[in-house]
Amino acid sequence: MANELRFLVVDDFSTMRRIVRNLLKESGFTEADEAEDGVVALQKLRNSNFDFVVSDINMPNMNGFQLLSEIKKDEKLKHIPVLMVTAEARKEDIVMAAQQGAAGYIVKPFTKATLEDKVNLILTKMGLK
Amino acid sequence: MHSEKSTPTASAAVPADIHQSIGMLTRQLHDSLNGLGLTDKVRGWAGELPDAKSRLSYIAKLTGEAAEKVLNRVDQAKSQQDHIAAETRRISALIVKDPVAAVAKGHVMNFLTDVEASTKQTDDHLTEIMMAQDFHDLTGQVIAKVVNLAANIETQLIQLLIQTAPADAPVKVAAAATATTSAPTPSLSGPAVNPEGNPDVVTGQSEVDDLLASLGF
Repeated sequence: MANELRFLVVDDFSTMRRIVRNLLKESGFTEADEAEDGVVALQKLRNSNFDFVVSDINMPNMNGFQLLSEIKKDEKLKHIPVLMVTAEARKEDIVMAAQQGAAGYIVKPFTKATLEDKVNLILTKMGLK
Repeated sequence: MHSEKSTPTASAAVPADIHQSIGMLTRQLHDSLNGLGLTDKVRGWAGELPDAKSRLSYIAKLTGEAAEKVLNRVDQAKSQQDHIAAETRRISALIVKDPVAAVAKGHVMNFLTDVEASTKQTDDHLTEIMMAQDFHDLTGQVIAKVVNLAANIETQLIQLLIQTAPADAPVKVAAAATATTSAPTPSLSGPAVNPEGNPDVVTGQSEVDDLLASLGF
């Protein structure tokens, strides 16, 4: 079941979107789409079905915190786990993400094992794995 | 022949003029900065420039490490490829010579095991080469901050230029200033360039996990 889950990878850098998508694919999660900022991500989330969001924080137009907040305010989207993958290493940002309802937080640069562990941990907690 | 040396009277007069001009310029600059409320900003630039230097050093460090990592992985992968290519030629020759013996003595099976292990290692190298490309994201964010600082200084200098320009100065200076006044100021801090010794930032994923665990996550 886990392998059929649909991921949305949100990052303003196309390189990072490709890296995350490839890593998810290597971990068996082949269904993934991309968005370059929070605005595009929100549109895609509202117009399609996704099971998991992997999002950067520092992005133009709508940053990761704003996206997280919009997802958690939306009755139809708030069940979707959001894993923050970001270069923001300030403790206050990590605390804020947790308080806003992020399912996990990864600081860049990260390893394949870290991403795999966090995704699997979140899926297990949610009973999706 | 004409001498370039000034007479004592002239040499005393010229420095006095220059000194007076510099004094006037300094006073004008000082008054303008005060008038524009820029003195604090200039102090701010002085503080930000070393930060820009360390950010640029961070970019050099990250790109250097990424290049090194990629080249090392390519070297290892090529060496493994060479080994498999040589083994393929050797096993082919054994099979041509005596196919039954090649299988019976385990040469073929050993070769297949070798190939399987090698493809796994090659896959690991390719993943690491892919991961090394994350420098693009991290350095991109840092470069954006340095560009923002440069744009900010440029804007303030143009404001200063307008303030101190003579009344008949070309109008285009004002137009240039208008075009560059609204540099965006990101509120997020981006990658931690010098995380060591800074209690406000984490230095790695284990600290993130500890912090979240302490919050009950």
